[in-house]
Amino acid sequence: MLSLAWRNVVRNARRSLITVSAVALGLASLIFLWGFNDGVHNTMMRNLQQVIVGSIQVHANGFFHHPQLVKTVPDSGLVIRLLKANGIKNFSYRLRTFALAAGEDSSEGLVLLGMNPDMEKKATRIAAKVDHGRFIHDNDEAACVLGKTTARNLGVSIGDDVVFLTEDRYGALAAEKLTLVGIISSGEMGIDRGLAIIPLGFLQQMTAMGGRHSEIVVQLPPERLEPVTAVLRAKLGKSYEVLRWYDMYPMMKQWVELENAFYYIFLSIVLVIVAAGIMNTALMSMLERMHEFGVMMALGCGRLRLAAMVVTESLLLGLAGIMAGTVAGLALVYYFHGAGIDLSSQMDSVARFYLNPVIHTEIDNTHLLDTVMAVLAASVAASIWPAIRAARLEPVEAIHHA
Amino acid sequence: MSDVLISASGLTRYYESGELKVAALDGVDLLIERGAYVVLAGRSGSGKTTLLNMLGGLDRPDSGSLVIAGQNLLTMSSAGRARFRLCHLGFVFQAYNLIRVLSARENVAYVLQLQGVKKKQRFQLADQWLARVGLQGFENRRPDQMSGGQQQRVAVARALATEPDLVLADEPTANLDSHTGESLMDLMRKLNEERCTTFVIASHDPAVIASARTLITMQDGKIAPVETL
Repeated sequence: MLSLAWRNVVRNARRSLITVSAVALGLASLIFLWGFNDGVHNTMMRNLQQVIVGSIQVHANGFFHHPQLVKTVPDSGLVIRLLKANGIKNFSYRLRTFALAAGEDSSEGLVLLGMNPDMEKKATRIAAKVDHGRFIHDNDEAACVLGKTTARNLGVSIGDDVVFLTEDRYGALAAEKLTLVGIISSGEMGIDRGLAIIPLGFLQQMTAMGGRHSEIVVQLPPERLEPVTAVLRAKLGKSYEVLRWYDMYPMMKQWVELENAFYYIFLSIVLVIVAAGIMNTALMSMLERMHEFGVMMALGCGRLRLAAMVVTESLLLGLAGIMAGTVAGLALVYYFHGAGIDLSSQMDSVARFYLNPVIHTEIDNTHLLDTVMAVLAASVAASIWPAIRAARLEPVEAIHHA
Repeated sequence: MSDVLISASGLTRYYESGELKVAALDGVDLLIERGAYVVLAGRSGSGKTTLLNMLGGLDRPDSGSLVIAGQNLLTMSSAGRARFRLCHLGFVFQAYNLIRVLSARENVAYVLQLQGVKKKQRFQLADQWLARVGLQGFENRRPDQMSGGQQQRVAVARALATEPDLVLADEPTANLDSHTGESLMDLMRKLNEERCTTFVIASHDPAVIASARTLITMQDGKIAPVETL
């Protein structure tokens, strides 16, 4: 039957070619759009994780929603041993508190984040976001890095002193004067405003929190996120909280899911068009061959077999279109993965969303598979009506059909 | 005792044309023995093709009974009639009606494929039948690469490949020149003699009528007395 169906497909080669081309064009467009969409989303999610948040953060239970200086990770050593036992090397300790920063002109409340510069380079790319000056490079130096907006608000520039006023672990006031060594310009408001990064050792000393950490930040490839989270949650127990990036910043994931939902709606519109094209071809082909179908029925071909042949023909058209469309679509994704799509003219607006000026396309296997399977399903669905019509033919009437 | 292949009684079929009801078959009674070579003669519109369609299970009468090879065609489902056609009947049409995209070998093998015969065996059988009808060397030709006579020979091979009880032929020579038509009739008659396959041929071609062993003449949907020659 497959051989006969294939010959029927190629008997009107031009019409079949037009149908296959339409399917291929639709699919290639969808794959490319998914490539752009996934490129944007994955870049955003990677940047969010890699710039400062990390893939996972381990805290004392309840710290994320009610951060306090004294609410530290119960046993940092245990967490590190677990991470190392699972082959994870990219992690860092941090200490977090609130402080009042005072510069030349004014003061501003902000988050004071103590980082170990050597460890932080393994876990995040925050150092690379320093636009002016340098990142802290000594765990004990009296230096700080501010966001661009905070530095402007405080009226300080590289080399100026900034005074930080906070509480130590006993509730006593602690004040230190640090030199501004770097200014971050990330485009992200949460970093550019209201954040000061100082050496972890310095902050621990300043707040009498020696050897204690508010958070352990872990950087992971996407495929390890869920299994490592599960292991940590299972082993660490209830006095810890193990949060994935999207547990901490659910808006980003929800936004990605919302956009994906829009793409699925767009996909279904294209599918309707693809299905209409295939159905048109299948129906025309069926109507042209009513006489032949009648003959086949007279020879003993059953109605189901006849219907199956019509479905097979549509399936072949769909498969040919899918092959061509997948090759073309993936070629586009591959090309723009290397060449990138320059959105620098839109950079002011996209930087807030952790986007890079040049988007490199990439496609998730799930989206590729969903799209291909949907087009395949549309090809089959498009043949159902022509197949029913073929199966309902009466041999005598069909044979006498001109 | 004779071996009856076809037993029809009171077959009636009406067609409606507007408000007019026309009897294409009007109480046809028929008994045909296995191995017979029957020609249905009559003018256009006399009911030959309608009767042939009934015998082939392609159409159903409004009333009457029809038993072929011991099976009542009128109580069968559509799928049952398709199976019956596949196993018991062969068709030769006026316009050859080969499947355009298949070669001569594949056209003959198609019915064997429907019966579930394996590829190698069905192609062997198809080649044997093509040789039997004088088309050795034409196995790979498509219908549009063959003459009308050759196509009709392929159709005969296709009709006989499943070794049916009955071959129904509707105006098989109508699109052939007289020489090719005679040659085709010689072939069909020879196959009837050799294999005892029953042939019922509808035709108004004098040469076909002359070749009949049993002649049934139809007029206005009715059958004239059967004439055995």
